[in-house]
Amino acid sequence: MDLPVQQFRTKAEQELLDLFTSAEKALPGARNKWVSDLRTKAIEAYGRLGLPHRRIEAWKYTDLRARLADVNPLLKAEGIAVGEAELKHALGSEVAKLPAYRLVVVEGDLRADLSDMAGLKEAGVEAVSLAHALEKPPSWLKTALAQVNPREDDPVLALNTALMTGGVALRIGASVTLKKPVHIILLDGRGEPASTVTRNVVVAEPGSSAMLVESFGSLGLRGLQRNAATEVRIGDKGAIKHVKLQREGEDALHLSTWLVELGADARYDAFQFSIGASVARNQIYARFAGEGSVLDISGAFLMRGRQHCDTMLLVEHRVPRCTSREFFKGVLDGEARGIFQGKIIVSPGAQKTDGKQMAGALLLSEAAEFDSKPELEIFADDVICGHGSTSGQIDEDLLFYLESRGIPEAEARALLIQAFVGEALERVEDEALRDALVRASAAWLGVEFD
Amino acid sequence: MLEIKNLHVNVDGREILKGLDLTLPQGEVHAVMGPNGSGKSTLAYVLAGKEDYEVTAGSVTWKGEDLLAMSPSERAASGVFLAFQYPLEIPGVATMTFLRTAVNAVRKARGEEELSTPDFLRLVRAKAKLLKIDIEMLKRPLNVGFSGGEKKRNEILQMALLEPALCVLDETDSGLDIDAVRIVAEGVNALRSPKRAMLVITHYQRLLNYIVPDRVHVLSDGRVARSGGPELALELEESGYAEFGEAASGAAA
Repeated sequence: MDLPVQQFRTKAEQELLDLFTSAEKALPGARNKWVSDLRTKAIEAYGRLGLPHRRIEAWKYTDLRARLADVNPLLKAEGIAVGEAELKHALGSEVAKLPAYRLVVVEGDLRADLSDMAGLKEAGVEAVSLAHALEKPPSWLKTALAQVNPREDDPVLALNTALMTGGVALRIGASVTLKKPVHIILLDGRGEPASTVTRNVVVAEPGSSAMLVESFGSLGLRGLQRNAATEVRIGDKGAIKHVKLQREGEDALHLSTWLVELGADARYDAFQFSIGASVARNQIYARFAGEGSVLDISGAFLMRGRQHCDTMLLVEHRVPRCTSREFFKGVLDGEARGIFQGKIIVSPGAQKTDGKQMAGALLLSEAAEFDSKPELEIFADDVICGHGSTSGQIDEDLLFYLESRGIPEAEARALLIQAFVGEALERVEDEALRDALVRASAAWLGVEFD
Repeated sequence: MLEIKNLHVNVDGREILKGLDLTLPQGEVHAVMGPNGSGKSTLAYVLAGKEDYEVTAGSVTWKGEDLLAMSPSERAASGVFLAFQYPLEIPGVATMTFLRTAVNAVRKARGEEELSTPDFLRLVRAKAKLLKIDIEMLKRPLNVGFSGGEKKRNEILQMALLEPALCVLDETDSGLDIDAVRIVAEGVNALRSPKRAMLVITHYQRLLNYIVPDRVHVLSDGRVARSGGPELALELEESGYAEFGEAASGAAA
C-alpha cells in the first residue's frame, strides 16, 4: 500500500536545512570530498528524519520539535579574549584549576593560545584542531570520524556531522599512559543568540590509558544552542576515564551525544555531571566490540527552576563476557524535570554478560518530576542483568535526627541532599575532580564549604 | 530545670499525653517508667521537637524558656539531647562528618568557637575510648551496618560530645544484652553531673540497676500515675504494671 509521504517541516526543521545550505561552502573541509560527502550524507539523513518528537520512543520526554522554535545562526569565531578569570567564571574555580593538559575551544574554535598541544605531543598524544584536520584528514581520523559506534537513526547526531565546525581530535598512542587528565574546555562566546556545533574524536590506541574531561561552560552568550558530539574508540586493553561537566548558561539548549566503542579487555569509566542549561539532552551510545571489557557510566544532575535534563543511554553487549554498570542520581527542585532512559541490549551469543543499571532522584518540591525508563532487551540466556529506579522526597525522620543534634534545618537538608548525590560522586575515582564536584554540588545547594 | 505542666499531646489526631506534670531539677536523674502505650516515647519526642506531635494544651519550660517554641536544632543548642530508641541510618554521611557538623553547629549556636579538625579528633578519640568505640567505625556511614549495641553507644558518644544540660534517654537499654547495657550505662554515668539533668525512659527496671535514679515516675494513660524514690522501680519489678493498666494498654498502644 502506497501512502503519500507527508513532507511537512516545522519552521525550525527548515531553518536547520537552510543553515546547512548557507554555511556549506564555508564549513571546514568543504574542499575535501571525503568530508563533504560525509556532511551531505548526514544532512540527507536529517532531512529524512526531521527533528525528534515525543512519538519517537527515545525522545518521549523531550519533544525537541515542539521545543525548538527558532534556530540561531552559527556562532562565529571572533577570537575573544579569554584568560584565567573567564575560565574560572565559566567553569567554577575548582574545575578551572584542575591539573590537566588543557584544550580550550571558544566559539567553536580550538584556541592554541590557551591549549597545551606541546605538552600532549610530548606525552605521546597527537592532538589536532578538528577544523584543521577536516581540511586534510589524517588517515587515523578517517577511520574514526563518524565511524565509532555509528547511528543512522539519530537526527541530532546527523546534524552534528553535517554542521560540525570545531573541536579536537586526539590520538593517544599505543601503550601511552597519561599522568594528567586531558581537559577539553568548550565555551560559547558573547553577545547575540547563536548555535554552535562541536565534535571531539578520541582514538585510544591499544594499551593506552587516559582520563578525558569535557567541560561545558558559558562566557555569557544568551540563548546558546549547542550540539556537541564525542566519539571515543578504545583499543584492546585500553582504559579511558571520561567525564563531562555541563554548566552552560541557564537559557541554553544543550544537545550532547557520546559514541563509545570498546575493544577487548578494555575499560571505560564515565561520569556526567549536569547543572546548567535550560534543556539538556545527554545521549550515550556505548557498545562492546571485544570480549572481556568493562564499562561504568554514572552521573549526577542537579536541576531547578524549569530546567529539563534528559539522559538517554544505550549499551549494546554484542560480544560475550562484558560487564556494564550505570548509576545516576538526580536532585530536582522547583518545576525541574529529570529523565533517565537506559537500555541494555544483549545480542544473541553475548553470553556471560553482566549488566546493571540504577537511577534515582530526590524531589525537593511538589512540582519537580522524575521519569525513569530502564529497559532490558536480552537475546542470550546465560546473563545477569538488572535495573532499578527510585524517586522520593527527603526523609523527614532523617531530617529530624540531624536537627535534634543541633544541625539547623537548612544545613541538615543540604547534608542529606549531598549524601544522596554523594553516592554517585563517589564513583569518580580522581580525587581532585571528585572534590571539585562535591564543591560544585555544595555551591549549587548554597552551602558554605570549609 | 525542666518543668512540664498539664501537657496534652496528640499524635495522628489521637490524644497520647493527657495532662502530664513532671519537674526535673538540675543535677538530678529521673526515671520514667510505664507500660507500653503509656506515652513514654511520645514524651521523649515532644521534648526533642518532632514535627508530627501536636501539643494541644500545657507547657514545657526549660531553663525559664518556652521549650515548645524552639525548633529541634534550637533545643539541641540550648542543651536538650534525645538518645533515640531507634537511631537512624544515613548512607552517604560519614559518622565523623556528622559528629563534627553537629558539634560545631551547637558550639556556634552557643557562641563558642568551632573546633579545628585536630582538636575535634582529639576530643572524639577521648570520648570514644570511654565507650569502647573503635575509631574506625566512625569512618563508616552513620549507623549503617552498626549492631544494635554500636548504635546505642554511638548515641551516647553524641551525647558526650554535645555536652547537653538535659539528657533524655529513650529506651536506651532495649535490644541490648547485659554487657552492652553495662557499657552504655557506664557512659551515661560518666556524664552525670550537678549541672546536668537526665530523664531515663525505660520499660524495664534492669537499666536502673546501673543508672540509679533520684526519682522514679510511672506513666499510665498519658499521665504520671505515681512518683517515688528508686525503690519504686524495684517494686514495679516485683508487681509489674498491672495496677497501671498494663492489661488494658493494648487499646492505648
